[in-house]
Amino acid sequence: MRGFVVAPLIRLVPVGLVALSIQRVVFANHPLHDVQIQLVLALVVAAGAGGGMDRGAVAGFVLGMMADASGDTPLGVLALAYGVGGMTAGYLHRFTPDPQWWLAVLFATMGAAVGEAAIPVVKTLTGEQGWINANLLVTVPIVAVAAGLLCPLLMPTGRWMMGVKRKKWKAITE
Amino acid sequence: MFSALSRRRVVALVVLTCLLFITLDKHGNPVIDRVRSALATVLQPIDTATRAITLPIERVWYGITNYDDVERENQALRDQIEHQKGNDVEARSAILEYRLLLKLEQLASKFNSPTVAAQVIGDSPGNFQNTVEINVGSTDGISVGMPVTNGAGLVGRITRVYSTHSLVKLITDPAYSVPAQVLSSADDEGIQGPLQEIPGGGVVTSSTSSTTTSTTVAVTTTTALPGDAVAPTTTPPATTSTTVLEVIRETGLLEGQGGNKPLLLRFVDNSSSIANVKVGAIVDTAGGTKGLAPQGIPIGVITRIVEQTGNSSSLVEVTPNADLRQLNFVVVVLYKSETVGP
Repeated sequence: MRGFVVAPLIRLVPVGLVALSIQRVVFANHPLHDVQIQLVLALVVAAGAGGGMDRGAVAGFVLGMMADASGDTPLGVLALAYGVGGMTAGYLHRFTPDPQWWLAVLFATMGAAVGEAAIPVVKTLTGEQGWINANLLVTVPIVAVAAGLLCPLLMPTGRWMMGVKRKKWKAITE
Repeated sequence: MFSALSRRRVVALVVLTCLLFITLDKHGNPVIDRVRSALATVLQPIDTATRAITLPIERVWYGITNYDDVERENQALRDQIEHQKGNDVEARSAILEYRLLLKLEQLASKFNSPTVAAQVIGDSPGNFQNTVEINVGSTDGISVGMPVTNGAGLVGRITRVYSTHSLVKLITDPAYSVPAQVLSSADDEGIQGPLQEIPGGGVVTSSTSSTTTSTTVAVTTTTALPGDAVAPTTTPPATTSTTVLEVIRETGLLEGQGGNKPLLLRFVDNSSSIANVKVGAIVDTAGGTKGLAPQGIPIGVITRIVEQTGNSSSLVEVTPNADLRQLNFVVVVLYKSETVGP
């Protein structure tokens, strides 16, 4: 478990810093229908879809912690929500060990939807009322679809930062 | 690949750690504050580099796609400035008269607090936080809780301070609330009209009456003969005009609703206060020793009063004066209240 958690951090933290910076400088200033596309969450679900539930959870936790620390949310809120999102995307590996790209996109979309919807839920549980409202019906689909579209681009980065290698299948020789 | 047990351990560890950090941060922890500060220091040069790379691309893109819109907007703004010039003169005159009244009544002015100008350098990165980042910090005398305004009105308050930058929680955030007062005149004409009739050399008398939730101020003005230091009591002045203005003040708590929704005003005594407020009335900060902002900072205008079915209370919606989606330059009022918290 030490190698599983510690080794990827060396890649996860610098990639996370760059993603966070792009999120803050580019995506925060260019909302789509008043909704900000979440690059960090897209990276988390791409890592989950590429590496599985546990890796998705770790990526979500680390990148969420960084997003929490750079913003105004209590430390752990985004980490928990992104962790859940990464796990959901990584559920794909329960069905197939080497998923096709469209399956990865589908699960990344679902993971992003769960991750984004989990933020107001966690905020409400921690005492910040007022975020669960009709706006979620616009925010969650836009963030989820954007993460799904970004998934094919971010999945190689996600795999690399989590230290996942593509499986090489060999034919069984008689 | 890992066994199901270690996978469960990872997931459980992640969840428990998150809950632990949330609990620690909610109660305030100096170690977490230091981590935040360290990350802010690390992110600053990366943000600058990202900005340097993306800004030229962004400008070229805007130049291609938004040129016509910008030209149209420029023309509309020029027209608006011409229109505003007249209003500006009237407003200056009203402020001078307001100061004169304060002086005569020996009251403290809201203009006493020093301010620091700042530029917005970043928007909130998430969809569930209404914050902006400004380029002044603790080195400029900024501290947590200070109100932030722009030319139009209240913008928010400082929630986190670093050495060279700070985070401002906007008034639209559900976690934001500020004591506010509604100002309207009994004759529904607004307070600015009759006040302008007060001449500099006139004699001003006033009487004040208040209740637990509302204050009514009656200002009676009498114009004496020009040059007369004190008008004789036995001889009436040659020209006398008396204007009676009843200003109704209703105090309540103004709360954000998230996103770009209007603000919500809750009164202490809803049933009696609702009767006195009207759509179009001005809302500004109520101040007070426990207020988060000094009295008199404009916030917005009442745009909607919705009567709720099932109970006697009503919802009062206030649209902020400041355009919070297009903030550029703001002013931090160096005002410290007694109750300061994130």
